[in-house]
Amino acid sequence: MAEFGVITPSVAVVGGKPATATGKALSVVALRKTYGDIVAVDEASMEIAAGEFVTFLGSSGSGKTTTLMMIAGFCEPDSGTITVGGRDVTRLAPQKRNLGFVFQQYLLFPHMTVHDNVAFPLTLRGVPKDEIRRRVGETLEIAGLSGFGGRKPRELSGGQQQRVALCRALVYRPPVILMDEPLGALDKKLRDQLQVEIKTIQQELGLTVIYVTHDQEEALVMSDRIAVMRNGLVEQFDTPRELFERPKTPFVADFLGAANFLPGRIEQHTDEHTLVRLDRSGGLLKARRHDLASGTPVKVAVQPGRLRACAIDDGFCSGTVETATYVGTLVRAGVRIDGGDAPLLRLEVPAGRGPVAGERVGITADPDDVNLFAGEQEG
Amino acid sequence: MAALTAAPARPRKLLASRKTRVGILYALPVVVYLLVLFVYPIISTLFLSLKNADGSLTLHWYVDALTGVNLSVLITTLRISAETALLSLVFGFILANAISRLRPLWAGLAMLIVVVPHFISALVRTYGWIILLGDKGLVNETLAWAPGAPYHLLYNELGVVIGTTSMMLPYTVLLLYGVMRGVDRGLLAAAASMGAGRVTIFRRVYLPLVAPGLASAGLLSFILSLGYYITPALMGGPNQTMIATLINQQVTKENQWNGAAAQGVLLLLLTLAGLLLVKLISSLGASAKKRSAS
Ligand SMILES: Nc1ncnc2c1ncn2[C@@H]1O[C@H](COP(=O)(O)OP(=O)(O)O)[C@@H](O)[C@H]1O
Ligand SMILES: [Mg+2]
Repeated sequence: MAEFGVITPSVAVVGGKPATATGKALSVVALRKTYGDIVAVDEASMEIAAGEFVTFLGSSGSGKTTTLMMIAGFCEPDSGTITVGGRDVTRLAPQKRNLGFVFQQYLLFPHMTVHDNVAFPLTLRGVPKDEIRRRVGETLEIAGLSGFGGRKPRELSGGQQQRVALCRALVYRPPVILMDEPLGALDKKLRDQLQVEIKTIQQELGLTVIYVTHDQEEALVMSDRIAVMRNGLVEQFDTPRELFERPKTPFVADFLGAANFLPGRIEQHTDEHTLVRLDRSGGLLKARRHDLASGTPVKVAVQPGRLRACAIDDGFCSGTVETATYVGTLVRAGVRIDGGDAPLLRLEVPAGRGPVAGERVGITADPDDVNLFAGEQEG
Repeated sequence: MAALTAAPARPRKLLASRKTRVGILYALPVVVYLLVLFVYPIISTLFLSLKNADGSLTLHWYVDALTGVNLSVLITTLRISAETALLSLVFGFILANAISRLRPLWAGLAMLIVVVPHFISALVRTYGWIILLGDKGLVNETLAWAPGAPYHLLYNELGVVIGTTSMMLPYTVLLLYGVMRGVDRGLLAAAASMGAGRVTIFRRVYLPLVAPGLASAGLLSFILSLGYYITPALMGGPNQTMIATLINQQVTKENQWNGAAAQGVLLLLLTLAGLLLVKLISSLGASAKKRSAS
């Protein structure tokens, strides 16, 4: 790969997790961007290792694209620094950053063939003709596009076009490839297929990818780490498992885990657990050990899949099953908790053992699956 | 079984034929219009150009049109038209490119400024140029300090080309602006993201994308210039006589309809040749690209 004048970190791929021996590929420090009164990105900081697949996840308007555009150089930050492979690129023009970019709208050059599109970045780098032909052929083959080289982009389907765009971004082995909702314009089935393909290619070639999406499932399927963004803030930057099981904010618990929230107050601490008195039902709930002082108002968050129905007196609260919907392997139940008109508690239990509508049940959860947040935070 | 499969065919056929009949009815005015206003005059001109005084067929008018003074007028016409096409393309490109980068509101305003003068009669605009470019005109007054002043900007080829270019400019700007607006700016950003500098982006992405517009704008101004009359007649000298002027002279001064008809047909053929040439070049370019890719 040295012939491209680009130093590519060699990354050993072990069990799907790239070994990050070569250190950081990209770091972003206190990046900020405002549009008038709107803070599009607020002091975003993160370090991304070579070979890592990182996703910016957030709803529309949360600042994902703006962050990506600043990294790419299409948008100048108000403050903060961006370093690629140890080189400060914050004030550099996009063409001087040597990054790859895959756009949602593909943006293939319509007047060039597939081959010429993929060859374009190589010709810019003065790669010899034979070398170009070989590299383009190889890259198209990886993406399953052998034999399409002579076609014009408009003669391809959306999925094929996006594969070509992907080839074009990785053929010159940039140290980091940025992708802004690259599958956003495709239908669900194709999206699922391409998610796997992109992930496989990324792992096989050890690519460093920053990916933007608003789709939680997509983020969970593809990412080594996910930066959950909201109103320009990075709420949490962690592995999917950590985000799921140890959300740092109620927003993350809600956005990724679709958690149930119950208001309560810290009652007391034991060696291993924290006990919370629930406001509405008055029940006592065992949670993971937490450092908040006794009496502090808290929000209890438990994901639907981590709640269990039990005998009526064995749970931290009890209620009546109002809805029970069979969805394949699961039953989704909505339980009206006794002692208040709070929103229905949502449960997901394996089908077969599921409760039926009208049944009176107790609700319980493993203390390890219960997350606490200081109560004044907004959910 | 046969009846079953045949059954749906009948109503469909009926519908289709009714559709066709209605279609013909709608097309009728256009067909009549084209026949009366285009096909008939062209054919009668063609006959006129091939007819001797005694009514027999001859090519003598064409030989006439392609020799001596007539030939040099034809060549002048082609040269001035080519110069005009080139200049209006260059200025049109610069203008349209600048306008297409403006915000929509300003772009609209700029387009208005380019197009509105065109609503004024060509005659008036030509006299405007004559006033501006004369030896005592505004241009020479302001440039009076410069060596070699006054410059002769009128009654020569420069004058004609200035005039015709200004007449063609709105067409080329309009055409190119439309094409340029249609170029996805994202493509330029994509090229930049891969490391292409400004010049490369312009040469390898932008220019090829607007090339069809350049070809049609150039061709349009060339074709329009071929038959242009007022401006060359008023702003040129005797050496800048163009074919339209010649045709006019033959009809009004010499009552020579047959010769005029032959020259008219030649003008038409030249226009068609121009169209064909552009088609040929663009298809050659496309096939060359295909070959280099495979
Ligand atoms: N060019 C711009 N001008 C003004 N506001 C913008 C611009 N680009 C983005 N914004 C605003 O910045 C915020 C973040 O936008 P964006 O980064 O596009 O979000 P996302 O990609 O997560 O949907 C939004 O509130 C958006 O309206
Ligand atoms: Mg976006």
